[in-house]
Amino acid sequence: MATQTDPEWKKGSAELLVLSLLEDQPRHGYDLSKLIQLRSGGALSFHVTSLYPLLHRLEKLKWIEGRWVEKAGERRRRFYSLTTLGRKTLRSKQQSWRDFVASVSRVTGIEHA
Amino acid sequence: MLKPTSESIRADVIQRLQSLGLSGREEFDLAEEIAQHVEDRLRELTAGGTEQREAYRVALAELEDLDALRAGVEKNRLMAHHEPIPAGSPAPARLWEGLWKDLRYAVRGMKRSPVFVLFVVLTLAIGIGANTTVFTLINTLILSPLPVKEPARLVAVAAVDPRNTARSSALFPVAYADLDNYRAQNRVFESLAAFTSPRGMTLLEHGSPGAMFGELVSSNYFSTLGLTPTRGRFLTAEDAVAGAPPVAVLNYAAWQKRFGGDENICGRELRVNGLRLTVVGVTPDHFLGMNAIFGPDIWVPASLAAQLFPNTMENVLTDRTKAQFEGVARLQPGITEDQARASVAAVSEALRQTYPLTNQGRAGVVRPVREILLGVNGNTASSTIFAGAALFVVVGIVLLIACSNVANLLLARSSARQQELAVRLAMGASRARLMRQLLTESVLLSLLSGAAGILVAYQGLQFLFGRLPAAANFPEPRIDALVLAYTLAASLLTGLLFGTIPAWKASRANVADALRDARSAGLGRRRVTIGKALLVGQVAFSFLLLITAALFLRSIGRAYAINPGFQTEHLAVFPTNPGQAGLSKEQSENFYRDVRRRVSAIPSVLEVSWSSNMPLWAGSSTGFQLEGHAPKSAADQIRAVALTVDRDYFGVSGISLEAGRTFTELDRDGTLPVAIVNEKLARDFWPSGALGRRIRLPGEPVSRQVIGVVRTADYTSWGEPQQDAVYTPLAQHFADSMALYVRTAADPRQILSVVEREIHTAGPGILIFGTRTGSEIIDNGLFQAKMGVGLLTIFGLVALGLASIGLYGVLAYSVNQRRREIGLRMALGASRAAVVRLIVAQGMTLVGIGVILGLAASLAAGAALSRMLFGIAATDPLSIALAAALLSTIALLACYLPARRATQVDPLDSLRQA
Repeated sequence: MATQTDPEWKKGSAELLVLSLLEDQPRHGYDLSKLIQLRSGGALSFHVTSLYPLLHRLEKLKWIEGRWVEKAGERRRRFYSLTTLGRKTLRSKQQSWRDFVASVSRVTGIEHA
Repeated sequence: MLKPTSESIRADVIQRLQSLGLSGREEFDLAEEIAQHVEDRLRELTAGGTEQREAYRVALAELEDLDALRAGVEKNRLMAHHEPIPAGSPAPARLWEGLWKDLRYAVRGMKRSPVFVLFVVLTLAIGIGANTTVFTLINTLILSPLPVKEPARLVAVAAVDPRNTARSSALFPVAYADLDNYRAQNRVFESLAAFTSPRGMTLLEHGSPGAMFGELVSSNYFSTLGLTPTRGRFLTAEDAVAGAPPVAVLNYAAWQKRFGGDENICGRELRVNGLRLTVVGVTPDHFLGMNAIFGPDIWVPASLAAQLFPNTMENVLTDRTKAQFEGVARLQPGITEDQARASVAAVSEALRQTYPLTNQGRAGVVRPVREILLGVNGNTASSTIFAGAALFVVVGIVLLIACSNVANLLLARSSARQQELAVRLAMGASRARLMRQLLTESVLLSLLSGAAGILVAYQGLQFLFGRLPAAANFPEPRIDALVLAYTLAASLLTGLLFGTIPAWKASRANVADALRDARSAGLGRRRVTIGKALLVGQVAFSFLLLITAALFLRSIGRAYAINPGFQTEHLAVFPTNPGQAGLSKEQSENFYRDVRRRVSAIPSVLEVSWSSNMPLWAGSSTGFQLEGHAPKSAADQIRAVALTVDRDYFGVSGISLEAGRTFTELDRDGTLPVAIVNEKLARDFWPSGALGRRIRLPGEPVSRQVIGVVRTADYTSWGEPQQDAVYTPLAQHFADSMALYVRTAADPRQILSVVEREIHTAGPGILIFGTRTGSEIIDNGLFQAKMGVGLLTIFGLVALGLASIGLYGVLAYSVNQRRREIGLRMALGASRAAVVRLIVAQGMTLVGIGVILGLAASLAAGAALSRMLFGIAATDPLSIALAAALLSTIALLACYLPARRATQVDPLDSLRQA
C-alpha cells in the first residue's frame, strides 16, 4: 500500500488483492504487480521483494497453486491460480472487508466514496 | 551497454539473493521468478523509451530492499509452526488442525503470563481438589463399597421397630434362629447368610495381648457374597459342625499389615480370646465385610460364638432373645426386592405367632444392601448420605467461587486484549472462531488445574486417612478411573463455566470502537457489570460458609458447656476384657478386686470403681418389666440403658445420688437382688416414688428391688435427649468385660501408665483397649462436630480470600478506568479522603448486597443446619455478627488498597493522558 499503515492491515489487504485478481484467471507475478498498480491508478503498488514471498505463502496455505509454464523462446513463467479453499477464503475476506469498511465509515463519518 | 541476457540477469539476481541463505532449490525457484520479473520490467521500461543501461539499473534497484524479502522468506519458513493469529473460518475438515493451532497459541499465551497462570491454577486446584477429595470419599463409601459378585442381587435382612413405619428407619439386629427360619421358609433367596458387627477380640501374640476385630458369620457367608479367596479357602458347612477344629478367615489388609503378607499364612494358628484358631484363607483385597466404613480383621464361624464370648453369646444361635446378627441374602434370578420383602414379612408374621414371648415388637424386613453397609452405630444410611451431600454442597460452593474469581480475572484480561481481538475480527476471523480460541485457553487452564487438583486431593486424602488408627479395618480411599473421570469432567465444566462469559463478551467486541480506543470502549462498562454480579455472588457464598462455620464454632463452645451428668475433669477410664483372656468367672472377679486394691494404693488416686460401659458408649435395650406397668400391647416395650457397676461407681463418676442409697459390699450373690434407676425412669414410671419398687431386666429370672435414684446422665452421646437407665451391682450381675474408672486428685494424664502397669501385673494376658481421660472422652464425643468446624472454617476462609482478591481486582480495574474522572475531581478540589470514600463506598455497596443475599441463603439453609447444632439456633445473631465482622474487615481492606491508589493519581497526568 502506498500509505504507511499497520503491517497487519497491509498483510490482510494484500492477500485480498491477490486473491481477487486470481479469481477470473491464472496470472504470473509480474502480471499481478502491474494489475494492482494499474487498477488502483498507481495508488497501490507491490514491491517485488514483498510480492513473491507473499505468493509463496498463499501457496503454502493452499489458497493458490503455482505452475511453471514454458513458451518457446521465452523464459518459463510461474502462473498462479485460485484453489477451492482460496475461493472460499476470498469470499469470507471480501465479506469481512465490506463489514470492516462499513464500520470504519460509520465511526469516522465518511460515507462510501 | 549490451542488452542483458537472461543468463546475466539471473546471475545478477542470484548474487543479490545469496545473503538470504536459501537452500538450493528455493533459491533457484525464487531467482527464476524474480529474474523473469526483472526481465519483464526491463522490457517495459525500454519500451517506454528509457535507455537500456538506466532501465536495467532501475529494474535491479527494485531488488535493493532485501530486508523485506528476507522478512517474507523468513516468515514463510516459520509459517508451519508460527501462525500468530489463526485465520478465519476454516472448513469443518480442518477442525482438528484448527484445534491444534488454538492449543499452540494458548500455550504461547500462557508462557507469556506465568504469574496469571500460576494464580488461576492454584485457585482452581483448591476448588477441584476439594471436590475430588469429597468425591473419592463418596466413591469409596457410598458408590462402590462392596467388591462382590453381582451386588445388585444382594439385599439386607434385619429387623425394624414395627411402630416406626418410615421406609428408612434404623435397622436392628435379628436373632440367629430367626434368620435360620427366614432362610428355610422363603422362596425368594438363592441363599441367606448371617453375620455380626465387628467385635473386639484379644489376640495373644508372643505372650502379650493385642486388640483385633472379628465377625461371627454363618458358613455360607462368603459363598452368598460370591467371593473368591486370595489364599486358601473360605468357610464350609463342616467348619460349622459342633466339635469341628476352630478356623478363621483373614482380612487381606490384616494379612498384609499384621502378618507382612506371609505366604504360609494358611495353617497358621492364632490365639484369639483364649481359643486356637487356624487360618484357612484370606479374603480378596478391599473387602471389609458388610460395612463400608469399618471392617474386621478375621471372620470366624458363628458356631464358635459361645467359645469366643462365653459371657455375652452363650446360646446365641438358639436363643431368640439374643438378637445379634444381621442377614445378607442373594435374590434368586428374576425375583424383585418387593417380592422378597413380602416373603420375609410373611415369615416374620408367622414367627410372631409361634414365638409371642420373644418375637413381639420386632418385624423382619428386606432393605437395599446399602443400608446395612452405611448404617453404623444407629445412624441410618440416609444420615451418612446426607453428610456426604452436605460436604459436596460446601466444596461445590468453593469451586463456584473459584470459578467466578477466575472468570473475573479473564474478563479483565480480555479487555486488555480487546485490540488484538478486534484486529483479528477485522481480518476475517469469525466470532465463533474467536470464542473457540478463548475457550480453548480456559479449558487448557482448567485441565492444568485439574491435574494440580488431583495432587491436592491425594494430599488431602493422605491427611484425612492418615489419622485413622489400625488401617486394616478402614477402607482405603482409591483414586480410581471413576474418580479421574469425575475430576476430568469437573475440570472441563469448570473451564467452560469460567471461560464462557469472558469469551462471549470478548467476541462481541465492537470492532470499530475497540480499534478506536480500548480504554473508553463501551465494552468496559458491561464487563464491570458482569464482574460486579459475579462478585456479589462470591461475597454471598463466602458469607454463607462463614456463618455456618461460626454457628458450628459456637455450637461446639456450647457443647463443651453441656453438663453430661458425670464429671470428666479428674477421670481416667481403662477398658479391660478378662473374659477374652480366657479367665473364668472366679478368676475375673479376683482380677477386678485385685486391680481395685492395687490402683487405690497409687498416691493421688482418690477413688476407683468398675463399670460395664465407657462413658458415652452405652446402648439401650428393650424388654424391661416394671412393677405396675404391664405392657398394654406386645409392641409397647420399655427401652432403657442397662449398666453393671461396682460399688463407689457414682462417687468416681460424679453422678449424684438423689434418693435412697448406692451399692455396698452387702449387695452380693445371695442377698436381695437390687437395682438403682435414674431420675428420668423414676419420674416416667413411678412419679409417686421409686424406692422399694420392683424391676426385672431382660433375660433375668428374678425381679430386683430399687434401692436408689441417681441423676440422669448422658449415656450414648454428648448432649443426647434423656434416656431411662438401670444400674445393677457387679457382685450380683457378673460381666466379663469391664472398664476401670479412676478419680484422681490432679491431672489424670500423669497416672495413666502407672495404672496400666498395675492392671498388667494383676492380669498379664488382659488387654487394656483404649485408655481415655475424661476430656478425651468429650473430644471423641464431639469429633464429628469438630471435623465439621475444621472443614467449614478452612473452606470459608478460602472462599473469603478468593472473594477478597476478586473485590480488589474489580475495584482496582474500576479505579484505573476512572483515572480521568478522579483526576478531574481532585483538580476541582476534591480531598483525598473524599476520593477514598467514593471508591470504598462503591466496593462496600457490592459487599453489602452480597451479605444480604448470603444471610437470606443461610436462613433458608437453617433447617438443614439446625439438626447438626448443639443448643443453638441456625439464626444465632452472634454467629451472624461474627461472620459479618470478619467479612467486612477483610472486604474493607480489599476496597481500601485500590482506593488509596486512586488518591495517588496525579490530576495533571491523568487529564493529559485523557
